[in-house]
Amino acid sequence: MAVLVDEGYQTHPTVQHRFFPYAQNGGTVVAVAGEDFSVVGCDTRLSEGYSILSRDVSKVRKMTKSGLLGCVGFHGDVLTLTKMLDAKMKQYKHTHGKDMSCEAMAQMLSSTLYYRRFFPYWVYNMVAGIDNNGKGCVFSYDPVGSYERETYRACGSASAIIQPLLDNQLGYKNQSNANPAPLTRDRVRTMVRDIFAAASERDIYTGDEVEISVIDANGIDTQRFPLRSD
Amino acid sequence: MSILEYNGASIVAMKGKNCVAIAADKRLGIRFQTVSCDFQKIFPMGKKLFIGLPGLATDVQTFANELKFHTNLYNLSESREISPKVFLSMVSNFLYQRRFGPYFIEPVIAGLDPKTDEPFIASTDLIGCPMVTDDFVVAGTCLEQLYGMCETLYKPDMQPDELFECISQSLLNAQDRDAYSGWGGVVYVIEPNKITKRELKARMD
Amino acid sequence: MSERYSFSLTTFSPSGKLVQIEYAIAAVAAGAPSIGIKSKTGVVLAAEKKTKSILYDDTTITKMEMITKHCGMTYSGMGPDFRLLVRNARKIAQQYFMKYNEEIPVSQLVQRVANVMQEYTHSGGVRPFGVSLLVAGFDQETPYLVQCDPSGAYFAWKATAMGKNHVNGKTFLEKRYNADLELEDAVHTAILTLKEGFEGQMTEDNIEIGICTGDGFRKLNRTEIKDYLAALN
Repeated sequence: MAVLVDEGYQTHPTVQHRFFPYAQNGGTVVAVAGEDFSVVGCDTRLSEGYSILSRDVSKVRKMTKSGLLGCVGFHGDVLTLTKMLDAKMKQYKHTHGKDMSCEAMAQMLSSTLYYRRFFPYWVYNMVAGIDNNGKGCVFSYDPVGSYERETYRACGSASAIIQPLLDNQLGYKNQSNANPAPLTRDRVRTMVRDIFAAASERDIYTGDEVEISVIDANGIDTQRFPLRSD
Repeated sequence: MSILEYNGASIVAMKGKNCVAIAADKRLGIRFQTVSCDFQKIFPMGKKLFIGLPGLATDVQTFANELKFHTNLYNLSESREISPKVFLSMVSNFLYQRRFGPYFIEPVIAGLDPKTDEPFIASTDLIGCPMVTDDFVVAGTCLEQLYGMCETLYKPDMQPDELFECISQSLLNAQDRDAYSGWGGVVYVIEPNKITKRELKARMD
Repeated sequence: MSERYSFSLTTFSPSGKLVQIEYAIAAVAAGAPSIGIKSKTGVVLAAEKKTKSILYDDTTITKMEMITKHCGMTYSGMGPDFRLLVRNARKIAQQYFMKYNEEIPVSQLVQRVANVMQEYTHSGGVRPFGVSLLVAGFDQETPYLVQCDPSGAYFAWKATAMGKNHVNGKTFLEKRYNADLELEDAVHTAILTLKEGFEGQMTEDNIEIGICTGDGFRKLNRTEIKDYLAALN
C-alpha cells in the first residue's frame, strides 16, 4: 500500500511504500450473559471507508449447539479465523466424541489468536453461550488473545458508544438507588435492539440490520430487526 | 496524539421543556497524569447563558476571558443581554479569525433567550463551524461515549428534574469509560427564573 | 514659528467654541429641507430635491438611501458628504451582521455613524461633515427617528424638520403632531410641512418620501407621491 506523507513544507510529498495487509470493515457485536441464557447482537453491515460493501453479512457464527462466536474487524481475517476454528472444532469433536464446551472454546480461541502474536488476526472476538454449569457466559477478546469472562460487553466500531450504556443499564453503574432485577430474555433482547438503533444513529459502520440470538438450554433462537441503512 | 486531548474534558448540553442543562467533568490532567479534580470548564456568559469549553486548558481559560470581555462590552454598548444565538455567531467568528492557528477548544453553548426564554443549545468545532441542534450536543474526549448515552437516555420535553437526571447519568457513565475525563462533574440546569448548579460525585480513577 | 504647527481645523476658539462645527451646522441650516415624523406603525421621511435648472435629469438625483432592510436615511446639507456617510453606515451595518448574525439595532447604527461624524471633528487634516442625518428605522416592533449632527451629537425625535426653514417646519409640526397619528396621516403631515416655505409648485419630481414600517424601509415611487399630492389638493 502506498502512503502519502505530507510534510507540509515540501512541494512533492514523499511516497512511502509499505506492506499493510489490513482493512477495517466495521461492525459491532454486543453480548450479554443472563442467569441461564446469553444474548448476542451483531449488525449485518460490511463497510470499507465511506463505502458499504454489503448490507447482509452475518458476523455471528454458530460454533456448537450452545456456543456462538461474534467477530468484527478485518473481514478477511474474520473468514480465515472462523475457517481455522471450524476445523479445530471438528477435530476436537472427532477426538473427544463431543462438542467443545464454551470455556474450552474460549481458551482455544485465545491460543489461536496468540499464535499469531506478531502478525495478528485483525479481529475483535466475542464468545457467548452456556457454560458447563448451565449458566450464561460471555468472553471478550483483543486481537492477540487477551480474554476475560464478563456479563456484558460491546466490541467493534460502536463499542465506545455502547459500552457506557451497558455499564449503566446492566451494570447499574452510577445508580445509587437501583434494585437489580434478574435479567429476562425479552428485556435483554429489546435492550440490545434499542442499543443498536442508537449506535446506528451515530456510527456509520453500524447499521442495516441487527441479528440477535438468544442462547439457552433449548438451543439458539435468532431474530433480525431493521436498523438505519444510511 | 491530539492537542485537544492533552488535558481531557467532556461536556454535554441538553434541551428540556422550557429549560436547558449543561454539564462537564472536573478533571484537569497532563495526558494520563491527573493534576486537578476541580477544574472549571463551564463559564457563565449572561444571566441565562453558559458556555462549556473542552480542550487545551490554557486555551479554555484564555478564550473564556476573551468571551467574557466581549460579552461585557456588548452588554454595555447595547444595554441588553446577549442572546444565545448572537453569542454563537460571536464565538464562531472569534474562532474563525484564528482559522490557521486555532484555539484548541470545541465550545458547547447552552442558554435561554433573554427575551423569550426559548431554550437554545449549540456547539462549534475548533475553527468555529456552528452546529445548532434541538436535542443535545456533546464535545470532548469521550464524545463517542456521550453520544451513545444521550442517544438512548434523551427524550424530548423533559422537566428540569428529569433533565438533570438524564444529563447526569449520561455524563457519569460516559466519563467512566474515558481515562481523560471524570473525577466528578458539575451540572447547571437553566430555567426561566432559576439556575441550579449541582456537583456530582464520581469514581476517582 | 506658527507655520511649524499644523493645527486641526477644529481647534477651540478662545471663547470655547468649535467654530468649524458651527459653520458646518450653518451649512446644514442652509441646505434643502428634510422632514421626519414618527407614527405608531412606522416612520416617514420626506425631503425636498429641487434643482437649480430644469435641464437636470432629476430622476437620477436621490436624497434618501436605504441602509439595511429596516433602516433608511436622508439629510440636509452637502450631498457628497451624505454619500460617504451612507457608505460608512452600510458597511457598519453589514459588519455588525457578519459578527452577530443579527440585524443591527437602529440605536447601534446611529451611535456608530455618530462616532464617525465625531471623529471628523477632532482629526487632523479633515473637516466636519456638512450634513445632518435623519435616520428612520424599525426594530423589535419599535419605530425610531433619530437626527445626527456634524458635531456627532444625536437625538431621537417624534417629529422634526432640518435644513432651510427648519424653525418654521418645527413650529408647524408642533401644532400638527399627535401621538396616535396613523402612517398615512404622517405622510400627509410631512408633505404639508415641506410645503411650508416651498418655493414654486411641489410635484412628484421634486420631493422624495420614504417610509419605514415593520415590513422594512422603502421609498415611495412617483405615482404614489403623485397620489398623495393629489389627495392634498
